[in-house]
Amino acid sequence: MDFLNSLVSGFEKTFIRDDRYKLFLEGLGNTLLIALFATLMGVLIGTIVAVVKVMHRQTGKLRLLNAIGELYSTVIRGTPVVVQLLIAYNIIFAFSDRAVLVGTIAFGINSGAYVSEIIRAGILAVDIGQTEAGRSLGLSQGATMSKIIMPQALKNVLPAVGNEFISVLKETSVIGYLGVVDLTRAAERVITRTADVYFPYISIALIYLVIVCGLSWLLKKLERRLARSDRG
Amino acid sequence: MIEVKGLCKSFVKDTPVLNGIDCRIEDGEQIVVIGPSGGGKSTFLRCLNMLEVPTSGHILIDGEDITAPHVNLNRIRTHMGMVFQHFNLFPHFTVLKNIWFAPAQLKLQSKEEAKENALKLLARVGLTDKADSYPSQLSGGQKQRIAIVRALAMNPKIMLFDEPTSALDPEMVGEVLDVMKELAESKMTMVVVTHEMGFAREVSTRVFFMDGGVIAEENTPEELFSNPVNPRTQQFLKSVL
Ligand SMILES: Nc1ncnc2c1ncn2[C@@H]1O[C@H](COP(=O)(O)OP(=O)(O)OP(=O)(O)O)[C@@H](O)[C@H]1O
Ligand SMILES: [Mg+2]
Repeated sequence: MDFLNSLVSGFEKTFIRDDRYKLFLEGLGNTLLIALFATLMGVLIGTIVAVVKVMHRQTGKLRLLNAIGELYSTVIRGTPVVVQLLIAYNIIFAFSDRAVLVGTIAFGINSGAYVSEIIRAGILAVDIGQTEAGRSLGLSQGATMSKIIMPQALKNVLPAVGNEFISVLKETSVIGYLGVVDLTRAAERVITRTADVYFPYISIALIYLVIVCGLSWLLKKLERRLARSDRG
Repeated sequence: MIEVKGLCKSFVKDTPVLNGIDCRIEDGEQIVVIGPSGGGKSTFLRCLNMLEVPTSGHILIDGEDITAPHVNLNRIRTHMGMVFQHFNLFPHFTVLKNIWFAPAQLKLQSKEEAKENALKLLARVGLTDKADSYPSQLSGGQKQRIAIVRALAMNPKIMLFDEPTSALDPEMVGEVLDVMKELAESKMTMVVVTHEMGFAREVSTRVFFMDGGVIAEENTPEELFSNPVNPRTQQFLKSVL
C-alpha cells in the first residue's frame, strides 16, 4: 500500500500539481517538432550531398561541391552533436536567441550527414541498368538521376529515413543545453521544484519508449507494404 | 551509316577488350554479332552509343565523329535506341509512361503527342491492355516488347540489341524475335548481339563473328554459316549449331 501511495503522490506531484502536465506537453511538442523538421532538413541536405557524391564518382564532375560534401561529412560525423549544438547557438547563430529554431537547424545539419550516407547507399542500390536505359534514351545525367534513379532510391531508403527520425528524436534530448524546454528539460524543471528524481525521469523514459516503439511498429508496416508493392 | 575505325577499349590498362575494330554499317542493314562469351560483343555495342567510352579509335554516325570531345552525346543517343538483355524498364512508371516519358521529357513531342504515339506503339506489339500496368506485372517477353517500343518512341535511326532474348523463357523468345523481324522488314538499321542463329540466318544482311576483341570474320549469313573460313569461327559454330 505504501508503494501505491507513493506512486499516486509522485504522479500528483509530477503531473497534476500546478498544472505541471502542461510543461510536459510543451516539452513533448518541442521534442516532436524539432525532430520532425530536423529530419526533413536532414533529408533535403542528405539528398543533395548524396547526389553530388554519386555524380562526382560516376563522372568526375562537381569536384568543388564534392570536396565540400566530404568536408561536411567528416566534420559532422567526427564531432559530438552537443558540441555542434553549442557552436551553432553560441557562435554561428550568436545573433539569434531563438533556441528552438537554431537547435532544429543544428540537428538538421547533423542529420544530413547521416542521411546522405543512407541515400547514397540507396542510389547505388538501384540497378546500373536503370541509368544505362535512361542515358541510352538520350536523357541527360541530371534528368536520369532526378526522374529515374532518385524516385527508386528514395523509396528504397524510406524505412531507413524513418529510423533516422527515431534517432533524431532521441538525440534531441540534449537540446536542454540551449535552454529549450523539450521533454527531458521539462522533467528537470519539475525536479527542481519537487526534489523527486524518480518519477519524472522514469516517466519521460517511458514516454520516449512508447513513441519510439509506436514509430518502429509503423515503420515495420510501411516496410512490409513497400516490399509487397515491389513484388506486385 | 555507322563507320568504326580502329576502335579499342581497355577497362584495365594493357588488357584490351576491343582490339582494333573496323567496320562500316550502311543504312537499312541488319547486322548480327555472334561470338564466344567475353569476346567483347557487348562492349562493342555499348561503344556504338558511347555508354562505354572507347580508349582509342573513332565512331562516325552519318559522318559525325561521336568520339570527339564536346560532342552532345544526348542528342546522338536520341537517334540510337538500345535494348538490353535485362529489359531495364523503369519500375516506377506504368508501361505507357515508360514509352512516352523520354520523348516528352526531351521535348521532342508534347506530352499528349507522346502518349498518343505510345498507344500506337503498344498496339503495334499487341499490348494495349497493359498500358496502365507496371513492369513488374508483365512476363519477360512482354517486358522486352515494351523495352523495344520504348526505344522506338524516340524515332531512332539505329537500333542496338544486346542479347534481347537471352533472359527469356524459351516460349517467349518467339514473340520478341517477331517484333525484331518486323522492324528489320521496315528497314531499320539494326545491330543485334544474339545467340539466336535462326534469327541471324533469316534476318541479317551480314554477320560479324567477334572473338578476342576483333571482328574475326564477317560475311553474309549464308556464307558465314555454310563456309566459315576462320578456324575459330568454325569451332564456335560447331559448338552452337
Ligand atoms: N565494366 C567492365 N569493367 C571491367 N571489365 C569489363 C567490363 N565490362 C566488360 N568487361 C570485360 O570485357 C570482356 C568482354 O566483355 P563483353 O561483355 O563485351 O563480352 P561479351 O562478348 O558480350 O560476352 P557475353 O557473351 O558473355 O555477353 C570480358 O572479359 C569482361 O570481363
Ligand atoms: Mg554480352
